[in-house]
Amino acid sequence: MAMIREIWRNFPKRPATLKYPFERLEPSERYRGKHHFDPKLCVGCGLCARDCPAKAIEMVTFSDGKRRPVFYLDRCIFCAVCERICPRNAIKLTKFYELATYDKSELVLKEALEPEK
Amino acid sequence: MIEPLIAIFKIVVFPGLAFITLLGLVYEWIDRKAVARFQNRIGPLYAGPRGFLQPLADFLKLMAKEDIVPTWADKLLFNAVPLFAVTIPTLASLYIPITGYPVLPPFEGDLVLVVALTTFFTITAFIAGLASTNRFSTIGAERAALQLLGFEIPMFISVASAAMAAGSLSITVIAERQFLPFALLQPLGFAVYLIALQAELERVPFDIPEAESEIVAGWLTEFSGKKLAFLRLSADIRLVLGAALATAIFLGGGSGPVLPPIVWFLIKSIAIVIVSAMLRALFARLRIDQMVRGAWKYLLPLSMLQLLMTKILLLVVV
Amino acid sequence: MPTYKLPIGPQHPAIKEAFHFTFELDGEVVVDVKPRLGNVHRGIEKGMELRSWNQGTFLVERICGICNTPHTTCYALTVEELYGVEAPPRAQYIRTIINELNRIHSHLLWIGILGMELGFWSYFMYVWRDRERVMDVVEMITGNRVTTSAIIIGGVAYDIPPHMEGTIRRAMDFLEERTKFYKQVLENEPTIRARTENVGVLNKSRARDLCAVGPVARASDLKTDVRFDEPYCSYGEVPFNLITYPYCDVYARALVRADETLESIEIVRQCLDKMPSGPIKLRLPRAPPPGEAVNRVEAPRGELMHYCKSDGKEKPYRFKARTPTLANIPALCEMLKGYYIADIPAIIASIDPCYCCTERLLFVDINTGKKWVWTYDELKRYSLKWNEKNGGRRR
Repeated sequence: MAMIREIWRNFPKRPATLKYPFERLEPSERYRGKHHFDPKLCVGCGLCARDCPAKAIEMVTFSDGKRRPVFYLDRCIFCAVCERICPRNAIKLTKFYELATYDKSELVLKEALEPEK
Repeated sequence: MIEPLIAIFKIVVFPGLAFITLLGLVYEWIDRKAVARFQNRIGPLYAGPRGFLQPLADFLKLMAKEDIVPTWADKLLFNAVPLFAVTIPTLASLYIPITGYPVLPPFEGDLVLVVALTTFFTITAFIAGLASTNRFSTIGAERAALQLLGFEIPMFISVASAAMAAGSLSITVIAERQFLPFALLQPLGFAVYLIALQAELERVPFDIPEAESEIVAGWLTEFSGKKLAFLRLSADIRLVLGAALATAIFLGGGSGPVLPPIVWFLIKSIAIVIVSAMLRALFARLRIDQMVRGAWKYLLPLSMLQLLMTKILLLVVV
Repeated sequence: MPTYKLPIGPQHPAIKEAFHFTFELDGEVVVDVKPRLGNVHRGIEKGMELRSWNQGTFLVERICGICNTPHTTCYALTVEELYGVEAPPRAQYIRTIINELNRIHSHLLWIGILGMELGFWSYFMYVWRDRERVMDVVEMITGNRVTTSAIIIGGVAYDIPPHMEGTIRRAMDFLEERTKFYKQVLENEPTIRARTENVGVLNKSRARDLCAVGPVARASDLKTDVRFDEPYCSYGEVPFNLITYPYCDVYARALVRADETLESIEIVRQCLDKMPSGPIKLRLPRAPPPGEAVNRVEAPRGELMHYCKSDGKEKPYRFKARTPTLANIPALCEMLKGYYIADIPAIIASIDPCYCCTERLLFVDINTGKKWVWTYDELKRYSLKWNEKNGGRRR
């Protein structure tokens, strides 16, 4: 009967469960979610692609002749090595984490994309 | 002309089979919500308002699933078990005065019939486990039978002390003759009955025959589809039966001011369901040898003490 | 007396990961146990040879989800030893804090799992609800709740600025109070004590013979803890207690883990007090000089060892991990004999099995219609011959 006071105390209280997706938790400031890439800062060095542990970044030459990374979020492990190693701070991992989708092409980040809320 | 039709209506619809089944589903919802709230969770939420239709949704889902009979199982017994599992407690509950008067005519000794039917159910569980010819089922069946050895006698004796105090072996008469609920006059017997009820219904701390983390699902393992749906329904109906029997024998049945008897009956039996849910949330599961040893060391002497006290009190007062 | 065999696993509601034990039973009593590992083998040791040293950090982390921090710490220490450097002092303290937070979360997880294995669902729900607090702290520091990716070769990736200290300390106070309550429930709840006392007994001499590690050994009164025997990171500078209990049963292992959680909370507080300032990582060249190094850390489950060999190239030549659960399997088989089926989940849970850590060779079973088992030496000989025939090592 050791837990009896505990369970009676919690019986009338609000449950600890959040009714997701109607009630959401805000992740912390340093949360590693979807990438935000600023193409104006990128110099095409390719360090992010070389050091990605999951080989989720591919350097692609775009139509304007510049080499820029393409992120494959279905391979990404959200370790933030690309964020740390970019010499121009062009990559930032945002707090957006609801990345599940039915369409795999949504998980390929090309060009500069705005982070969703 | 109309008499047989009324009788059939009473048996089949209200307060007979359909009503008992419906009550079973409602009690399952109350039990799941209560246990969840004790654990600081929500419980069923999305099926119907506040998850009220979740037990019905589970039942319908299981009815739609594939029904697999193992190759080596004893076909006749295997197919018969779900039928017996539902029929036996439903038949027993027809003798309980839910609306103040039971569906089937009461007679002296229907208490013995009802309690005996609960024993028959455990034998059905044993047969279910044996007929499945699966190692986990065999262990579950053996544990169900051992558990029966533990709780059966204390349960009978605690119920018998209440019968002795009322001077009758008919549930309806016992319910009527309680000027003061027997739970207050015979607290020991009531406590023993509640603990034995927990064991009979195979709920924590006595869900040993169906111990999920050890033997998958015990004697229920091989059942699937419609058969499993009916076995789960039988668990609900047994909950109704156990709570209704406790209400009739220890809490005074439908007696109470102002409201009609059926409302009081439901309120009291729901209180018993919540107490059972609290016991579920409070304890870990015991081992079968600990359960049987504890039942013979503690439950049996306490119930006999209660019987003795009742006899002495009756001799002194009357 | 005729016995029958009961297989548990690879699919079973009791176990979180896929493993297989075949029990020989006499009624309800276990007479013999044969483990068959290999269901979670993922080829990590080979995977490490195909990735650079820095990329390997993140693969090592995913050997185990629950104890990911000790794996990265051990790997980072080993590679830093190959380089011949030590991480800066502030990084050592932050590593200690992250490791101890990981230990708190792992032990709380385990206490909940013990409740679940005993059928005590309420205990499980409450412990896991309160465990969320330490997960929130870890998320605040490193950005993720479970695979923290915070410890890298040369130091740590995230600093703990002063404004986070208040949150960490408040969380530690809350967890200390709750852990004391859960320990008190362990001690006072008669059903838990009935199920865990004198169950799965492993006496001291057998524990030493079978090389039990971690809380399993400490619950059999062996004073072995890598944080004391060979202090790493900043464990040498922060005073704390070595917890042992003499009862040698599942109950003792539960008490050891509960007490270790309280000790970890104390260590985190002291590290926050004593943390020096300075850089949090070193810049290192892309490949360490040739050599080999071994390091041990105290994971929540016991002593974890990593071995690395470098030949000066960008990718490791060889990597090996010996995880604590593998060391505890022989002790587990000994512990199970003579007890009831009903005790099996409690005993298996009491060594805190982490089978995804365990599957790392030492047992190779190949099925091509013909079954045979190779020892590691035979495999090595075959592999060398094959590589010779096919022209050198395939890198």
